[in-house]
Amino acid sequence: MFYIDIFFKHVWNILPYLKTTFLVAAITFLVSVLLGGLIASGMLGKNKPGQMLAKAYVNLMRCVPPIVLLFIVYYGAPYLVSSLFHKDINGLDAIYFAIISLSLLHGASFAEMMRGAYLAVGKGQEEAALSIGLTKWQAFYRIIFPQAFVVALPILGNSIIGLLKDGALAYSIGVVDITGRAQYLISMNLGGYVLETYLALALIYWILSSITQKAFGALERRLQKG
Amino acid sequence: MLKITDVHKAFGDNEVLKGVSIEVEKGDVVAVLGPSGSGKTTLLRSINFLERADKGRLQFDDIDVDLKNASKADIKKIRKKTAFVFQNYNLFANKTALQNVTEGLIIGRKVPKAEAAERAKKALDKVGLSERYDYYPGQLSGGQQQRVGIARAIAVNPDIILFDEPTSALDPELIGEVLNVMKELAKEGTTMIVVTHEMQFAQDVTNKVIFMDGGKVVEEGTPKDIFTHPKEERTKQFLRRVIPNYDYSI
Repeated sequence: MFYIDIFFKHVWNILPYLKTTFLVAAITFLVSVLLGGLIASGMLGKNKPGQMLAKAYVNLMRCVPPIVLLFIVYYGAPYLVSSLFHKDINGLDAIYFAIISLSLLHGASFAEMMRGAYLAVGKGQEEAALSIGLTKWQAFYRIIFPQAFVVALPILGNSIIGLLKDGALAYSIGVVDITGRAQYLISMNLGGYVLETYLALALIYWILSSITQKAFGALERRLQKG
Repeated sequence: MLKITDVHKAFGDNEVLKGVSIEVEKGDVVAVLGPSGSGKTTLLRSINFLERADKGRLQFDDIDVDLKNASKADIKKIRKKTAFVFQNYNLFANKTALQNVTEGLIIGRKVPKAEAAERAKKALDKVGLSERYDYYPGQLSGGQQQRVGIARAIAVNPDIILFDEPTSALDPELIGEVLNVMKELAKEGTTMIVVTHEMQFAQDVTNKVIFMDGGKVVEEGTPKDIFTHPKEERTKQFLRRVIPNYDYSI
């Protein structure tokens, strides 16, 4: 028996926790962009050790399942911090650990995306910019970045959806986002209405992903030139 | 005006330039000829530091620098005096024809926007693109794109324009429109170095021809010298191969 009224009630009950889901996704996104940019510039730079380090990092992250990394960070980070700085961070809100591990993970895939987009623009664009008197930095932000951004858009849209969905794992270390809330509702009902609850949760993720996808599609069409 | 001496450049084990020296006077139109792989493009790119030579000296008016160790400030000075026209045009794909030309003025040379637009329009009019200001490179033909490339170069008022095989990527029927623009510039006294495979252009428009092979200058002289009385066997061989029915003994 499927209780449609419970389904809708649970959608309603879960919705307020979108706040946490968005918070995790937004901060993870920002940190991933910064970390990804750093790693991408390492991979593209002339510095050999920098290149190797960046590549090793990306490879390492590619090989770890998200949930495994989440637990490693959750249990490992306090250990690391206490042995290095003699500070106890065990009491820190789980949301921090979730953001750190998701950023570590997505920073690597963002780096790959940025590297690919940068290379797709082509060396000639930079050379032309230098030849008319722009500095390397001006060439980057005025000529290369705007083009690389358009190249990266479709992948970026996907990455953001992936990041949003990976956030669901955070419930496993106790973050109460929409997935955490759904788990809570199930346990409040002593394991009842499981299907109603998960479908309610899925519906919310589906709407979020669709909106993201549509938004990026629209942005892509707008920025397409020539 | 411009003198480069003993330029060496290797990519890994491949020695592309083995001590090349050339000299250009104001108003010169110099053609650099030679088979592919002879180092002509690398030489041209070394002049404005798109390629960093391993050795060599560059004298440009009052600037005198070592090509290998030139400072950022020197490079900037030299790039301000030169402009480059690329084989593949390399127009900024995210900018319109007009913006392609104003970019170097507004950002590279700090020209006020209104004045830059004015100068850019003049440059585009000159290459026959007064109807195409707001077109993106993707909406232009190859010949039109290259003409925007030339407008971009002339707009910054360089002392010398470096052309790197400007017509090699073009359909045969579009080559003429680009060469005509270059002829026009030559007539007005623009100093240019042109790496090219267009023998007719080299013969008719330039006042100096440099023939390179294997990373060295084999022979140089007036177009007449090179095309009708080449001294070196290698030059004769090359001309026989690239010019149909060529007979240097005439």
